[in-house]
Formats: sequence, structure tokens, C-alpha cells
Amino acid sequence: MDEEKKLNGRKNMVFSIISIVILCILLFPLYWALITSLKTEQEIFQNPPTFYPHILNLKSYAAQVETGDFNMFRSFGNSFVISIGATVIAVLLAVPASYGIAKYHFKGRKLMLLSFLVTQMLPVSVLLTPMFIMFKNMHVYNTWIAAVLADATIGIPFSVLILKNYFASIPKDLEEAAYLDGCNKFTAFLRILIPIAKPGVMVCAIFSFLYAWGDLAYGMTFILDQERRPITAGIFNFMGQYGTKWSYLTAFAVVTIIPVALIFIFMQKYIVSGMTSGAVKG
Amino acid sequence: MKRKKVTALLAVMAMTATLITGCGSSADTQDTAETPQAAEEASDKESTEAAETSGGAEAVTIWYYWETEGHQVALDQVIQEYNASQDQYEVTAKYVPFADFKKQLSIGASADELPDIAILDSPDHASYVEMGIFEDLTGKFDVSSYYEGTVNSCTVDGKLYGVPFGVNCLALYYNEDMLEAAGCEVPTTWDELKETAKKLTGDNVTGLALCSVQNEEGTFNFVPWLWSTGATSYDIDNENGIRALTFIQGLIEEGVMSKECINWTQGDVMNQFISGNVAMMENGPWQIPTMQAEAPDLNWNVTLIPKDAEYSSVLGGENYAVINGRNVEGALDFLTYATSEEKVKFMMDKFGYISADKTIAENQFEADSPYQPFVEELNYAMPRGPLAEWPSVSDAISLAFNQVITGTATPEEAAAQAQSTIDGIVK
Amino acid sequence: MFCAAALFSIMPAVKYAAGGWYKVAHGACYTLKGEAFMKKIKKMFRYENVGMLFVLPAFVYMLVFVGYPIIRNIILSFQDVNAGNLVRGTKNFILFDNYLELFQDDVFRTSLFNTLRYTVMCLVFQFVIGFILALFFSKRFTLAKPVRGILLVPWMIPVTVTALMFKLLFATDIGVINYILRSLHLTGKNIEWLTTPGTAMFALVCANIWIGIPFNMILISTGLTTIPKELYESASIDGANRIQTFFSITLPLLKPTIESVLILGFIYTFKVYDLVYVMTSGGPVNSTHMLSTYSYKLSFEMFKYSKGSAVANVLLVILMIVGIFYIKATTAGEEE
Repeated sequence: MDEEKKLNGRKNMVFSIISIVILCILLFPLYWALITSLKTEQEIFQNPPTFYPHILNLKSYAAQVETGDFNMFRSFGNSFVISIGATVIAVLLAVPASYGIAKYHFKGRKLMLLSFLVTQMLPVSVLLTPMFIMFKNMHVYNTWIAAVLADATIGIPFSVLILKNYFASIPKDLEEAAYLDGCNKFTAFLRILIPIAKPGVMVCAIFSFLYAWGDLAYGMTFILDQERRPITAGIFNFMGQYGTKWSYLTAFAVVTIIPVALIFIFMQKYIVSGMTSGAVKG
Repeated sequence: MKRKKVTALLAVMAMTATLITGCGSSADTQDTAETPQAAEEASDKESTEAAETSGGAEAVTIWYYWETEGHQVALDQVIQEYNASQDQYEVTAKYVPFADFKKQLSIGASADELPDIAILDSPDHASYVEMGIFEDLTGKFDVSSYYEGTVNSCTVDGKLYGVPFGVNCLALYYNEDMLEAAGCEVPTTWDELKETAKKLTGDNVTGLALCSVQNEEGTFNFVPWLWSTGATSYDIDNENGIRALTFIQGLIEEGVMSKECINWTQGDVMNQFISGNVAMMENGPWQIPTMQAEAPDLNWNVTLIPKDAEYSSVLGGENYAVINGRNVEGALDFLTYATSEEKVKFMMDKFGYISADKTIAENQFEADSPYQPFVEELNYAMPRGPLAEWPSVSDAISLAFNQVITGTATPEEAAAQAQSTIDGIVK
Repeated sequence: MFCAAALFSIMPAVKYAAGGWYKVAHGACYTLKGEAFMKKIKKMFRYENVGMLFVLPAFVYMLVFVGYPIIRNIILSFQDVNAGNLVRGTKNFILFDNYLELFQDDVFRTSLFNTLRYTVMCLVFQFVIGFILALFFSKRFTLAKPVRGILLVPWMIPVTVTALMFKLLFATDIGVINYILRSLHLTGKNIEWLTTPGTAMFALVCANIWIGIPFNMILISTGLTTIPKELYESASIDGANRIQTFFSITLPLLKPTIESVLILGFIYTFKVYDLVYVMTSGGPVNSTHMLSTYSYKLSFEMFKYSKGSAVANVLLVILMIVGIFYIKATTAGEEE
């Protein structure tokens, strides 16, 4: 792109400032949740509202450690295991599938593509009962595996549809060159195409992870034991319990967000560089 | 070309094989990663099914939906005591959130994955009886001294399908200090209530609050007003029904009740009350333990819900039900234990409930206890249903009230619409 | 229909995979049906069909876990299943009665209209804003990468939490949005966002756009990286200006990405559930019910399982139509 060269000087400054402004606007809801969690209930109801906590109140955080009925860290761990599991399945199945769809024009290809789309078209309410019966028969009801299997069904079609564009955009001559170098279909796929499609694969992994991470219905329906449930189920319970006690609710929200946000912000360096430098250099 | 084809085919097959084994082994690693949990879980499951033969204690599971910690602790204590008292059965209780309870029971019924005992909301009881998942308990429990309404809620076609756990009803809480400051008497009629609420409403205080969420919880809070006029749950489109709707609409229009009530659960309403944002509220006795713990200095009292034509309140509470085809023996054994006078008294006190057993209830509280008005209110309390289609009737009622609160329909329109829905259900 | 289609599409692949049996089948077919049939079989084994084996594992996985529920749901919607016959008793087939009843049902019509309105509003805004941000962050200034990274945060947050935060922002008395509007003198008194039918929908749309912006931004950003830089270079040599390059290079080359983004956005927005459930539960007075929340309510709150399924199928059919258009568009010009 013509933007290839780095901006410098004044232009760089102006763009950076604009980006900070965008950041502030878009992240304001998060900031608001954070400061609300640090206010006292009286201050939350104060009019006009305060934009930073005048009296620092950490009680709502302490309360979450004290009330022992729900273990934050464990449910966080549960969510993590479930999401990783779902991501692994989604990526392993979706990468070759999207390659097949992008590079081979076999009969029934459109139909398969449509079928992948169709699987995303039912609302959870009608998926719950049949899935439940299946998981019970597979003897995985009330385990992480049930949630992993169910969550992967969101990630797979998504990844297939996104990745097929990446594989399709890779020029044919690149593959041909690989064959000349002695690769066969399979090794060409592994050595040439996957590395090139890496940004796409990364994005699909991230999205699969986040779909699984945000899932509420599956985790709550297929896992009954509180100790194995994902964190979203915890938030849901907490909301039932504390209704409009905003300091508690927002504290819970903040504790849920911060660790995962940190993980992703750190990984982001890797993701974004993968995204921008891994581009096709046909 | 041919050769290329064969290589390609082989490659793809190898690829597919790798994928299949790859994903299989990833599932395996998943398994090993989960080993402690999964193994424990598996053995758990086996023990549930195998225990009956292996001579250990048989498992009895209970589902309940109370999120209040005090409730959970009290139930747990009774269970622990029971488990320690004998070694034939081992009871465990699982919390299923209220919002999820019906769904989990519905799905569980389809998949034959249910607990042995469910502690459920009384108006839903009839629906599950119709589903055929509850054991007929006729003759197994003596409920002759129980409040009639509670027994009715678990009786279908003359057969008893449950045992009332405990009972509650709604009454009017008021902030004594605020009433005194405004120079008001405790209201007993609708007109007095409106006048009082007006005087109590100020800058940061609204006079009255009642949970108006559009679901069963809202219906629970609306029907006392509806019934007080002489209207019934099934007969709304008449002078009485419209008067009830008009009254609630008036409270909103005059600003003595906040529109936000449609987003407040009963717990939220209580929080608003103890924070001093609301001067009077309609609520139940189960809030008392929390209120006493969280706002020990607040001066409040309870009185009958003010009346239009007659005093009226609504019967609430949970019932125990035994699921058929599972560990019925064990479930009955535990229920016999848990419904003994001593255990009932213990749980009712911790829960802030009133015993469903009249003989226990009458001596349950001191004369000046804040619970006493609820015992009196029980005389005017009626059950919702029992009717298998109650959820649909309830939906129509709460919709009508929400329509007048949000101003999307006049009381007349709302009543007519509710009536036509209800007529379609109750033929 | 789905079942038959699926079976049809697997068939050739299954035969192909069962390589050892090929000869047996070969011989049998030859004697039975003659040459014409063989040609057909051979055609099925075309080189291109190898690709199917790549797709098969994922396809089978989805078929097992979602195919069965879809079929079950279709059957359920033609029956009359309620609390009375869920577990025991006969489940009568009443064919289209559930669907006919639905179209008499005000709440159903509202939810259908709501879902469409909601989806279109969300898509337009989140796509446009996401696109602009993607273009903006494709410039290489110092903060581009880190800021774009942090902007993904809204997407990472479980929807349940997002719904909670927006409920707080839009609260009537303590909500900061009302405060800002009052400070700017845009409104005299507090707007009752979540308790007034029209504005409740607006609040939902805002929350969803907030979630959707990063989704659109990152997918378009990644799409931009696949455009060969030489194209831009040669365009600038030819003297094309920015706007010309955008319309002649960027947009056409991004077409597959844009199509995917919009179609996926449509599907995921159209079946929105968690957000509505937490923020409004379909209220006030059913004004924000969507097809998904209404289906849930019918199935799990009112024990009308078959009617709930019928609502879900209406949703399915609408999305199918969109899906078919998408497939048509993305595979147009390819020989079958």
C-alpha cells in the first residue's frame, strides 16, 4: 500500500492523537465500569455523577473474595480450559476445510459452504435440548468436554468462512512453485499455504477462543456443577443475586475483564505483526 | 497427470488421517488435562448409579434455586445433619439459578437427567405434574394441618404431587421515620396509600415501589392489587380489573412510583428501600433477615397491603417434589426428615419464611416480631392457579400491568387484550 | 431437506475414501448399468473432488452436533409438544398450525420486525465505523498497532458483561448518558432509556455496535493485508488519486472479505440472544423481543416447545435465504 512507508513528524503526531481520542471514546464504558466499582453506593447515586471515585471503596472487591460460594479463579480457569479446547478443535478442523473449499472446485462445494452457514442459523434455545441428549449419551454431560464440543460448533463455520478467503487470495503460481520444488499437495499445504495464511489462522483462533469465552448458554446448560462452570455463568448468577447493586456488579465485571484483556494485549503484538507482515509477497 | 492424482489422493488421505487422529489425541490430551476433575466426575457419576448395588450410601440429589446465601447455608445444614444421622442415603443439593430452573427441568425431562427432589416455585408445580415427572405422594405425608392454599398448589385431580416447603406472602413495608417526618398514618386503603405516597415522595425518594418485572415475579406482585378489587386472575376485562390497572397507572403518572420498577426484582426493590430511596414497598418476609443484617439501624415496619374492596395478598413459596422413576425411597426418607417440626422450624427461621403447617406457623413468632403481620396477611392470601397453563395466564397479567406502567396502553386496552389472551388459554 | 442434501454431498467422498471397494463397485456397476453409469462415477472421482476430503472432518463434526438438532427442531415445529406430552403421551402432528398461529401472534410479529430492524441498524453502523477505523489504522504511525490492539477489548468481553455495562450507562437516574445529554442541554429531564419501548431498542443497538466495531475492524484490517502493495504502487505511478485507488483497487479486492464480514455479521446479529436477555429480557412490554428471545421464552418459560421451535425455524429460513444469496455471490463466475 502507499501507506507502506512510516509516517513521521507532524503527521505521525496528528494520527497518534486522533487514535488516542478514538481509544478514549470507545473504551469509556470500561472506564465507567471500573470507577463505578470503586465508588460507594451513595456516590454511585450522586447527582451529578463523579468521574473518578471521591471516596475510594474497595469493599466490593473484598466481598468477592469473602463470599466463598463462588470461586472466581476456578471459574476463570474453567473458562480458559473450555475456550482453549474449543479453539484447538475449531482450528484443526477448519483450516483444512477452508483450504479444500478455496482450492478445489468439487461438486457439492456450494452446498457444503451453505451447510456450514446453516449450522450458525439456529438460536441456542432449540440447540440446547438435542445437544444435551447427545452429550448425556456420550457420557460427557456435566464435564468441560460437553462445553468444548458445543463451543467448537460456533468457531468452526466462522473460521471456514473467513479462512477460505485467505486461501483463495493466495496466487496459484506460489503453489506451482512449490510443486516444482518437489512438494506434493499435502506438503505444499503444510509448508507454503499455512504459513502464508497464518494471519488468517491467528484471527480464526482468536475469534474461536472469544466465542467460546463469551458463551453463556452452553456452559450453563451442559455443566451443572458450580465448580466446573465457566466464568460467564458466574456473572449470570451474580446478577441474579445482586440485582442493581452496581458497585458489586461492576467489580465482578472488572475482575472478569482485566486478566483476559491483559493476555490479549500482550499477545496483540504478535497477532498484529502476524497480520501486517505476513501478507502475501507474491 | 495420473501420478499426480494418486499422490494427491494419498496426501489427502494421510492428511485426513492425521486430522482424525490429531483431533482424537487432542481430545485425549484434553482428557488427561482434565484427569483429576474428569475422573472424579466419572466416579461421581458411577457412584450415583452404582451405589445402589455396591452397598455404600445411595445418592439423593436436590435442585433448588435460592441464591440467598442464608437460604443455602440453612438447607445445607439440614442436609449435613441428615447425612450424619443415617448411612443409607447421601443427600447433595445443587443450586440451579432461578432464571435457568424451568429450562433445566424441561431439558432434564426430555433427556431423563433429573434430580431426585426438586424444590420449585409453587405456581409452576401444576405444569410439571402435567409433564408427568412427579411422583404421586398421596397418603405418604400428612398435610391436613397445612394451609389450604399451599396444599392446593401441589394437588392435581385430587392427588398430592408435592409437599409445601414453606410459605410466604406479600405485605407492605414502610419506613417509619419517613412516615413520621411527613406526619402520615399507616395507610389501609388505596386512597390513603396514594395520599401517603404523595407526601413521602421528595427529591431523592419515591413513595412506593413494587417489583414490576414482566414475568412471574411481576405477576406475583400485581395480583394482590387485582384481587383486592374482586377481579380474579381469569376475569380482568371488567370494572374491577380496569380499576386495579388504573390505580397502578395513577401511581406512575403522579410520580409516586418509579417507572424503573419494571427493571427491579424484589431484591432490587428491597435494596432501594434500605438505601432510603423508597419509602414504602410491597415485598415478602424472606427479605427480613437480609434487611436486619444490612441495615440494622433502619426503622421500618410491616402492614397489610392497603385494600380497595377487600384485603388481599398472594401466596408464595416453594414445594418439594419427588421425581418419579428415580431414587423415590431415598427422596421420601429425606423429606420425612426435613418436614419434621424441628427441622421445619429451623429452616423457616433462617429463611424468613412462615411454616406451611398452620399449627407451627401460629406459634412461630413473638407477638411483636416483624414477621407477625405476614402471618396475619396469610389469612387473605390466595394461590396463583393451580393450573398447568398458569405460565401463559401469568404472562398476560404481567404484560397488562407493564403496558399501563410504561404508558403503551390504556387500562381499558390492556385489560381487553389480557382477557382475550386468557380466554384463549382457559376455555 | 438438509439431511438429504448433506447425504448427497457426502456420498461421493465416502465412496472415494473407501478406495479398496472401488474395484468391486467398478465391476458391479459395469455389468449392471453399462458405460454411461461408469462415466458418471468417473466424473465423481475427478481430481477436484479430492478437496472434499479436506472438508469432510469439519463437515461431519458439524453434521453430528448441529445437523441433528436442526432436523429435530423441524420435526418438533410440526408437532404439538407442550408440558403435557413432552415426556409421555402422543405427540400429534399438526403440520403448519404452529406457524399459522404465529402469524396471528402480535409478539411474534413484533419480534420479527425487531430482529430485522435491529440487525440492519447494527450492521450499517458497525461496518462503516469498523471500515473507517481499519483504513485509519492501516497507516503506519507510532501508535497504530498498540491502539488497534487495545481496541479489540470490547470484543473480548463476554456479552453478559457488556450488557451489564450498558445497562449501567443507560440507567435513568444514575446513567452517565443522561448526565452528558443534560449537560449538553440536549434534554431537559432524564430519558427513561430502558423502560420506554423505542429507546430501549436504541440502547440495545448501541451496545451491539460497540461489540461489533472491533469485529469489523480486525477482519477488514486483515483483508487489507492481502492486497498486494504493487497494485497501489503502479496505481500511483498511473496518477490515480486516493479516492480512485480506493474504489478501483481496495474495494474490489476486499470484496470477499466484505461479503464474509457482512454475512457473518448478519447471522450473528440476527440471532442475538444474551445481550437482549440481560439488558431488557424482551421488555418493556415485549417491545425488544427478538425471534431468539421469543423462541426461548416460548420453549422454556411457557412450556410451548413446538411453538418455540417454529419461531426458531422462521429465523432459520430467513437466514437461509441470506445464506443462499451469499453463496451465489461469492461463488459467482466459478464453473461448477
